[in-house]
Amino acid sequence: MTSIETDLAAALNASPNAYFIVGPELKFVWANQAYFAVTQRTAADLIGTPVFEAFDAGPGLDAPESTRRLRASFEKVFATGVRNDIPVLHYAIPVPGADGVLAYEDRYWSVIHTPLIRDGVVEHVLQYAIDITELENLRRSAADVTTSAVHAIDAIVGGALLSGARSVQADNARLETERQGLMDLFMQAPGFVTVLNGPDHVIQIHNSAYAQLIGHRDISGKPIREALPEIQGQGYFEFLDSVYETGEPYEGRASRVQLQRTPDGPLEARFLDFIYQPIRDANGAVAGIFVQGHDVTGTVRSAERQKLMIDELNHRVKNTLATIQSIAVQTARSHGDPATFAESFQARLMALSHTHNLLTRSHWEGADLDAILQHETEAHGSHRVTLNGPPVALEPAAALSLGMIFHELATNAAKYGALSAPEGRVMVDWAVANQTRPVLTLTWREIGGPPVAPPERRGFGSRLIERNVRHDLAGAVILDYANDGFSAEFSVPLEKERSS
Amino acid sequence: MTQTLTGRRVLVVEDESLVAMLLETILEDMGCIPIGPAGTVEEGLAMVADPAPLDGALLDVNVAGRQVFPIAEALTARGVPFVFSTGYGESGLPDAWRGHATVQKPFTESAIRAALMKAMGVENV
Repeated sequence: MTSIETDLAAALNASPNAYFIVGPELKFVWANQAYFAVTQRTAADLIGTPVFEAFDAGPGLDAPESTRRLRASFEKVFATGVRNDIPVLHYAIPVPGADGVLAYEDRYWSVIHTPLIRDGVVEHVLQYAIDITELENLRRSAADVTTSAVHAIDAIVGGALLSGARSVQADNARLETERQGLMDLFMQAPGFVTVLNGPDHVIQIHNSAYAQLIGHRDISGKPIREALPEIQGQGYFEFLDSVYETGEPYEGRASRVQLQRTPDGPLEARFLDFIYQPIRDANGAVAGIFVQGHDVTGTVRSAERQKLMIDELNHRVKNTLATIQSIAVQTARSHGDPATFAESFQARLMALSHTHNLLTRSHWEGADLDAILQHETEAHGSHRVTLNGPPVALEPAAALSLGMIFHELATNAAKYGALSAPEGRVMVDWAVANQTRPVLTLTWREIGGPPVAPPERRGFGSRLIERNVRHDLAGAVILDYANDGFSAEFSVPLEKERSS
Repeated sequence: MTQTLTGRRVLVVEDESLVAMLLETILEDMGCIPIGPAGTVEEGLAMVADPAPLDGALLDVNVAGRQVFPIAEALTARGVPFVFSTGYGESGLPDAWRGHATVQKPFTESAIRAALMKAMGVENV
């Protein structure tokens, strides 16, 4: 040490102002005599002790906040190497009472933290603390009287300075609260937001919705081309470059982007409404880009679904019209008389319509076999038709086919078969075989009717049955015109095999 | 004028048997010989691959949940003219086939006759 340095150290130690020095772990490294005096503690007590172990601000309501502010100030100086002040700090300290027992004493301090830098590194921080307890108490008691009294006393005791510091401090606290509030809003905003910096579009900040969109990757501080490499070639980097160069915002509507949202996962298409807005510096030059938008994938997908549904509806309506056209043409061919044509055509139309009703009830998911059979046979008396089999859920196409088939069988039975005689009966039995690839086997058997003879000409009804089972249901049917009663045996796979 | 189509073998691809029956009836009335019907794309492709002669085809665009275009391509390769039938309207055909001879469901006999004759290059005499 030079003599000057020795003198300075001695002067600091002898100064009437209280000083102490802490290291990065916030332990007392050194304190001067004035500090030991004001805190009524000794070097043995304090040196090497963590500051916040020796002094914890006491049990007051604002004590945790005071401790936090003091610690934050120390940390800020260590981190930045810049002096930091706390103009007014309410910080109780334990002092030994007359009986020697430590008791908390309410104190107000004005604190200045100065960095002690060696080789560019903050090695220590020097605290200069002024005990302003008396001034504060004076101010506070006056505050209860009148405002002007406060101003008067402030003026007398130099409080104008204090209140200035106090108001800066209040402003800072308010700004900090506002900043935090804005930050929270930004982070929790339902839309995605990110701020890009510089010509390489370095991701400065991004919110939760943005993290969600890109699959929670670590992108902070990375240029966008590095952060989201998979969107190379999709045009977005070029739009960003153009916004940065021209200062013209760019807006995208339902814009498709392919993102890799899971590591090593496949590219996933999302649709976004977004805007790239240039951010300008004080001189008006573009410094970055503000990106804001919404993931509208759900809306786009439902619009696509709606278009598909409308196309499908149109397809079904036109196909149904073609089916009805076919029924009309074929029915007309077997009915010379318009009256019997109308009756027969309407009955077929009603059978088709009823199956539609059943399907509509299930939102076109399917219909139950028993329900279809019941409807097609009930007009002939439920006691004359016996239905016996387990519940079978039919797909819409199968339900429509079987509805028409049972209508033809029932009509035929009523005209020529068992249901044309008073004692005749129909028995329908079915079962489902092969559970892995289920097949419906169904027998329609007529008994007690007039003697049966095979038809001379295959009518529309029997052709419809045979064609429908084979072509539409990929099944098989045997129509047996036995003399003692007509019967039909069906075998229909319930899960249509479809190679893709 | 019906003579021009007489004896022509026309493939029918249609998954709904009632509609297929109507097409067969219409074709028979015009003097054609209906081939098929095919109810799936596979069946249709097998029929196109069959060496038996084919003079034309009527193709339902949506067959059992699939699009009929592989059959259309096979027919084109074989040089067999064909007509699409669709319930989808104008938007039913993709760009590659837009403008190809098409009949809308439900159809009339005269619409099918006109479309087939046009596709086969047969003049109405």
